[in-house]
Formats: sequence, structure tokens, C-alpha cells
Amino acid sequence: MARWIPDEAGEEAGLLAALGIPSVEALFSDVPKKARIGRLGLSAGLEEPEVVAHIDKILERNRPLSKFSNFLGGRISSRYVPAAVDSILQRSEFYTSYTPYQPEASQGMLRVLFEFQSLWVELSGLDAANASLYDGATASGEAMLLCRRLHEGHRFLIPASLPWEEKSVLRNYAVGPGLLVEEVPYDPRTGNLDLEFVRTAIRSHDVFGILADVPNGFGHVDEGLWDLKSLVGDVPFVVSADPLALTVLEPPGNYGADVVVGEGQGFGIAPSYGGPLLGLFACRKEHLRLTPGRIVGATLDAEGAPAYALTLQTREQHIRRSRATSNICTNQSLMAVAFVVYASLVGPRGLAALQVSIAEKARTLASALGAVEGVQAPRFEAPYLGEFTIELKQASGDTFLDRLRRRRILGGISLADPRPGVPPAPARILVAATDSTTEKDIQKYARAARAAAAGGSA
Amino acid sequence: MTYRQARWDEPSVWDLSAIPGPEPAPAVPGLPERMRRKERVLWPELSELQVLRHYTRLSQMNFGIESGPYALGSCTMKYNPRVSEVLARRKGAAELHPNQPESTVQGALEILWRLERILAKVTGLPEISLQPGAGAHGEYAALLMVRAYFLEHGELERRTEVLLPDTAHGTNPASASMAGFTTREIASKDGCVDLDALKAAVSDRTACFMLTNPNTAGLFESQILEIAETVHGAGGMLYYDGANLNAILGITHPGRMGFDVAHLNLHKTFATPHGGGGPGAGVLAAGERLGPYLPIPRIVKNGRKFRLDYDRPKSIGKIKSSYGNFGLDLRAYAFAISHGEAGLQHVARRSVLNSNYLGQRLGKSLPRPFRTLVKHEFLLSGTPLKAHGVRTLDLAKRLLDEGIHAPTIYFPSIVDEAIMIELPETESRRDLDEYAAAFERAVNDTPEHLHAAPQNLAVKRVDEVRAAREPTLSWKDLRRRTPNHEKAAPVSSPP
Repeated sequence: MARWIPDEAGEEAGLLAALGIPSVEALFSDVPKKARIGRLGLSAGLEEPEVVAHIDKILERNRPLSKFSNFLGGRISSRYVPAAVDSILQRSEFYTSYTPYQPEASQGMLRVLFEFQSLWVELSGLDAANASLYDGATASGEAMLLCRRLHEGHRFLIPASLPWEEKSVLRNYAVGPGLLVEEVPYDPRTGNLDLEFVRTAIRSHDVFGILADVPNGFGHVDEGLWDLKSLVGDVPFVVSADPLALTVLEPPGNYGADVVVGEGQGFGIAPSYGGPLLGLFACRKEHLRLTPGRIVGATLDAEGAPAYALTLQTREQHIRRSRATSNICTNQSLMAVAFVVYASLVGPRGLAALQVSIAEKARTLASALGAVEGVQAPRFEAPYLGEFTIELKQASGDTFLDRLRRRRILGGISLADPRPGVPPAPARILVAATDSTTEKDIQKYARAARAAAAGGSA
Repeated sequence: MTYRQARWDEPSVWDLSAIPGPEPAPAVPGLPERMRRKERVLWPELSELQVLRHYTRLSQMNFGIESGPYALGSCTMKYNPRVSEVLARRKGAAELHPNQPESTVQGALEILWRLERILAKVTGLPEISLQPGAGAHGEYAALLMVRAYFLEHGELERRTEVLLPDTAHGTNPASASMAGFTTREIASKDGCVDLDALKAAVSDRTACFMLTNPNTAGLFESQILEIAETVHGAGGMLYYDGANLNAILGITHPGRMGFDVAHLNLHKTFATPHGGGGPGAGVLAAGERLGPYLPIPRIVKNGRKFRLDYDRPKSIGKIKSSYGNFGLDLRAYAFAISHGEAGLQHVARRSVLNSNYLGQRLGKSLPRPFRTLVKHEFLLSGTPLKAHGVRTLDLAKRLLDEGIHAPTIYFPSIVDEAIMIELPETESRRDLDEYAAAFERAVNDTPEHLHAAPQNLAVKRVDEVRAAREPTLSWKDLRRRTPNHEKAAPVSSPP
């Protein structure tokens, strides 16, 4: 067993003696006998080398991304993370601290979070950001709840192209207040939002908010977002945006977004099978008091020197309890540190250049896959950055991806909803280029796709 | 011990180098003109050493568990094993995409499955999901499960009320409201649930009763079996807030106490790092009635193979985009198997021993509002200090100067000037004695010193009122507030 519990000679006996009790058992006399349990039925403890060997052995059953030509994307990125990011994350002053309730002892974390908020403000084009939420999907859920506080109605519009997981999360955030999450269809040619549908829905006066994403669930950039604000008027407008894309795309705040959320994992955080991630959240200043999450503000100390503190806490659960704007307590502060350290290491020019280079690779990939029989690539005509959707004419998505996997290619994300009973949909795959994608990977994918896209089962 | 925190005059990151002047962002061919960013993101261009030096200096102005004892009650600030940090960074753990085919992530699924089996034993509740991002997120999901259950059983129209003690964590009522329930607080008696008040409050409107046990006064709710009977007798569910599980590992568990559903915080009990406020890792544990409603997917084992099962027709669906925080689940697993059966029991015993010992010592300095047999944490009241014009807040700030993190203060609200102290099993007797000595010095210090504290940290007492009055929340605000700022950090033309 590891030496995590101090055991200086006679230490526990001394503590017991000081308390004047014969054994620790006396300290549990308030637990009724009928509530006591016997053995948990766990194994005996292991020493550190055994733990490492045991876990390494299990991890050998994983095949990490580097073993493949990898075209997985979606909201999760596998971009390279500079080594220096992790050396900051491993500063124990950061990773072993807790929520900075005592600002004097926590200026370091508060200041990094202030820088993080500042960066999301720059990227999003809005006025204020919070200090993080769990992930992009839950940030969208919180944004929806903010919209409801800002506007009457009970319908919330989302793109039908949104990943099914995010739709499900949003529906779960809508359950409590009894809201209806409604899907806006997309133009079958471009994949863009059907603005006529939005126009009609808004006229019902029952829509309290709308969410659009950029790039959207198909990987494309919908130019219609520019027109949405004029269409929805005073109905709050949420944009879920990819932070790297925002280094080359117009900040959503500039085209009328009231809330900008996003998934921040791509900035310095390993994919780690999907967690921890980083929920980004920015809004207009006038709505601040209705927003969820921790917020860091600048102030002064008793001697007039600049200082930072958590602020506007009267919105929060530990003070407002059942009338709080959200139940959030723990957030993703350490991941917010990774986000801002990553961006500062790569720099604004480096980030934009990275997005440009990935977009170039994606175009090469699209033309290579577009030449494959049985594959429509890209499926939609709207412009794209690093990823796009393909559609298979014969093979099922699972068969196609499985055939590719056998050739050590992770060919993309099937957009099919895996829940039983969901009506059959076209076989669509979201395919992403990454910074590590090579010309060789692309040719390999195109070659393998020729065989994989043929009809019949695997 | 006198503490001296680093006090760097460190500028913010944007003041570390000249910001490139307005320059166009690069164009991606094919993008419509109006969707293109016109000006490059405003952020500095820095060398790697500049970045490292900056954030290293900031870290030196932050207090973590490895800096000193971190006595935040209800937060269970225990040592975060270094070995877990190493393991979570293995390629076979960090370089996995959540959408990889199941056949390529068998190891990840196995870790998650094994952790779930351990947690099922620890909680006495057989059905586990690791999907929630943190404790409060688990609360919310559990309440959605309760909702779905009553909806299916035709009782939701009536069962709209969530009961909780007045000592409940703030997240409990907040989660209940989010989930569409009304909340009703039950007044405590001597720091514990008043069974008569609970009996009077439960009805056919009760959806569930949310309880932390041991509670936030550090007391074990000894009438727990009667509480369970009362809630169940009214047809309601009993919800376990696992924030304080550390005290009862291997002693009792939510299942045996009669709880129907629970959330745990792996970042407390299972030693995953709190990271300056997060990430956490939440766990949902459910008994037979609520198990079918857990979020999808569930991890199942067939022979030697693991897979994600989406075929759960009663499931509430997803509450997070991926299946929980794998990186933290791996750390929690390492913690659990390192301790094993006897070790986890020892965790509870030692944390309770520490808390009772320290409670006894500090009880000589300040009054203890309730009975003195406590579990993982204990309460003191700073009321006597008020006669000298000293508040609990002043005492907390003074403790910082001693190199120990302040306790949780002003919570629970049923105690005047509350001070809530938890020093878990990883603190030695020497640490406890030093803590006690520091506490005594602080309590006995002059009001002038207490009011002026802290003196030894990166900043003096922070004006939190000012921060809220005129919110300055970003660099953009600073630029707006101080037009001179542009002069201080010139926006230069590109080199």
C-alpha cells in the first residue's frame, strides 16, 4: 500500500490517547449497527510499482491515435500540444488548488483565469466570459437557460445537423423548465440552416432562443449565420464556435450573437477519451447577472494594488441556493489554464496559420475522397475549414469505418445516432484533417476508401 | 510558521511584449468574405521561455495542497498522488479519441468498468455511471432520473417537491430547481435532521429528500434508517450527496443506509486533483429502481470484451458530450487499487481521527456548536470574536499568513460565524499540531493584526465589493477603463 497516510511511529496511538479513547472504533459509535457493513469485497492494496504495472498492462489494450492515420475530429481535437503546456499544468500550485475562494492566497489562478476570460472575449467578439463550464455541450445547455431568462417563450431552436450527443444534452437541460428543443432543418444541398423555417418559427412568438454552430455539425461554415440576428430580432442568439476556427472567422459577437459558447479542448488539452474537456462561455455584459459559472474580476487590494477575485457570486448556488442561475460549483479551471497557455505559446499568428494549414489539408483530402466511387465528398456545398461530411452511396457507415480501421485508418465519425429505434439515415461520416495529417495519410485513405465504400457487408 | 508567498510584480500576458498592430487575419480560400475575420486575434507573440516564466511566477502566487494544509471543509483536500499524474499522461490513456472504435479502446473501457465495479461496492448501489462532469452535474442527472421514474409511474404531476435539510450544500437546492422541482428546507435540530420535522414535511408531493451523511456539520445522521423509512413511507426517493463520503468508506454506505441514488465526487474522496476549481469527476450510483434511467451509454462486459451499450430505453439520454472525465477516472482507479479494501477503510478511520483530534484542540479556542463526536470535518463558531470587532473572515485571512489555507467559512448558515474545518487522512499529526498552534496564535492575535491580515501573501486584503460593483472582467475592459493602457503597452506596427 502506498505511503499516503502518515504513519510516524505511534502516531495514531498518540492521537487516540489524546482523545482518551481505546480505538478508532469509538469514533463510529454514532453509526447504527444496522447501518454498518462488513467487507467491501475489494482486493488488497497494491504498491506503486504494482499499480503502474497493472494499469500499463490494461492500457496496452488501447491503440492510441498515433498508431493510425487519424481523421477523427468533431468537437474533439488531437492536435499536437507543446510540451511546455503540460509543464505549467503540472505546477502543483495550480493543479492541487481548489476554487479560489480566498483571493489573497490564489492570485496566480485568478490571474490566469482572468487571462483566459480575456482570450475568449477576444475570440468570441463579446464583452465578458466566465471561468469555464464542463464542456461545449453543457455550455450550450447553460446558454439555452440564459436565453430563457432573457426572453419569453418555450421553444429553443437548434440545427438538425448538431451532433446527436449535443442534442441529447440540450434536451436534458430543457427538461426541468419544461422547454422544447426544436430542430431547424438544413438545406439538403448546402447543409446550411433553413432560414425560412427560422423566420416562420420566430413569427410564432413562442421561440425564446436559437443556437447555431460554426463550423456546424457537418463541419461547414454557414454564411447564413450573418443574417440570423436580423431574422430573430430580440430573440437571444447563441453561437457555438470552435476556438481555432475563430482565428480566421468573424467573431460571432460581430454578427449579433448574444452568447458564444464552445468546446475548448483543442487548445492544449489531450483528448483523453473525451475528458476532461473545457466549456467556453461568453455573453453581453448587460446579461452578466443572469449567467452561470465562476467569474473572475479585477479589483484592488487594501493598499490599492491591483488584485483579482471571484466576483458576482450572488448569482451562484453557494449563496443564492434554489434561485441560483446554475448549480455549477466545480468547473474546468485547470483546463482553462491549458487553453490560455497553449494560445500564448503558439501565438495569434501561429494559431491562424495552423487553421489555414489544416484547412488546406482538408481540401486536398476532400478532392482525394471525392474521386472515390461510392463516396460523395464533401456531401454539402457550404465552405469548410478543417473537416467536412462525406456520404456513402452503398456501404453503411459502420462497415466503411470498420474496413478502414483494419487498414489502420480512423476514417472519421459516423453521424448516425447509435440508439436503437432511431430511423435509418443516410450513411454520413464527419472527416477531419489535423495538423499531423500527411499527404501519405490522405492517399492511403483514398486508396482504402475505394474498397471500403463498395456495397455488401464486411 | 510564518509563510511568505512570492510577490512578483508580474504583468499580465498581454503586457509581456508589444502587441502586433492591426493586421489582417489570413484568408482561407472559399470562405465568404463576410464570414472572414478582418483583424487578427489580439494577443501577444511570446517566446516559450517568456510564457513559462510568466505562468511559473503566477503559480508561485497560488496556494496548493503541496504548499501546505488546505483545510476547506466539505472539499476533502487530500494529497493528489503523483503516480496518477504520470499514468494519466501515458499515450495509451491521453491519446484516445472518444469516437474511436470500441475495439481500439478496450483498455479505457476496462479501466472505467473496473472503477465502476469498485464504486458499486463502495456505495452499495449496483448501477454506476461515470458520465457527470462533477458532483453538481451528478445531482442534476440524478434528479432527472427521479423525474423520469415518477413520470413513468404517473406520479410526476403530484411529486414536485424536493426536501433538503437547511445544512445542505448549495448545489442541492440549485440542482433541484434546475430539474424543475420546488425545494423545501427542513430545519435541523442540534445540527442533524429533525426527524419530527421531516415526518411533518413528507407527503405524496415529495419526490425526494437530498441528504449528505455525514452532514455539513460533520455529524453522522444517526437516525438515517428512520429517515429512509420516513421518506420511503411517503413514496419518495432518498438521495445521497457523496461530498462527504470520505468519512464512511468501508464503514457504511449509501445502499445500506437506504439511499436510492447517489452522486460521488472523485476529486474529493478519490484524490483526483481539484485543479483550481476543476476538473472534477462525478459519479452516479443507483439502486434497482433508478438504475434503468442512468445516462447512456453504459459500459458492459461480454466475456473479455467491453462495449458501450446504448440500448437502454428508459435512460435519460446524455448529460455530457462524452463518457465522463476519463483522465480523472483513471487517477481515481489508481487511488482505489492502491488502497484496496483495508486502505480505503483506513482512509475513513484516519480522516475521522484527524478531525476529532483537531476538533478537540481547536474547541479550546472557539465554541463548537454541536456534539463533539464528528466525522470527517467539524464546525466552530467565531461568535465570541465579534465582541472584539473581529469576524470569522478576519480569522480566515490571518490563517493564510501562517501558511495554511483558510477553512470554509460562513457555511452552513445555521451556525453564526461558521468555520468548517476538514483535514483529511493525508495530514500528519505534526501538521495537525502545527495547524492547531497557528489557529491559536491567530485567535489570540490583536484585532488590529486580524483586520490587517493577510500580510505575507502576494496581495493584501482584496476588495471584493469593488470587484462586483464595477465588473472588470477582461483585458478588453481594462483597455476601455484605462485609455492610457494603450500607451503603457504600445500597439506597435508589425516587425
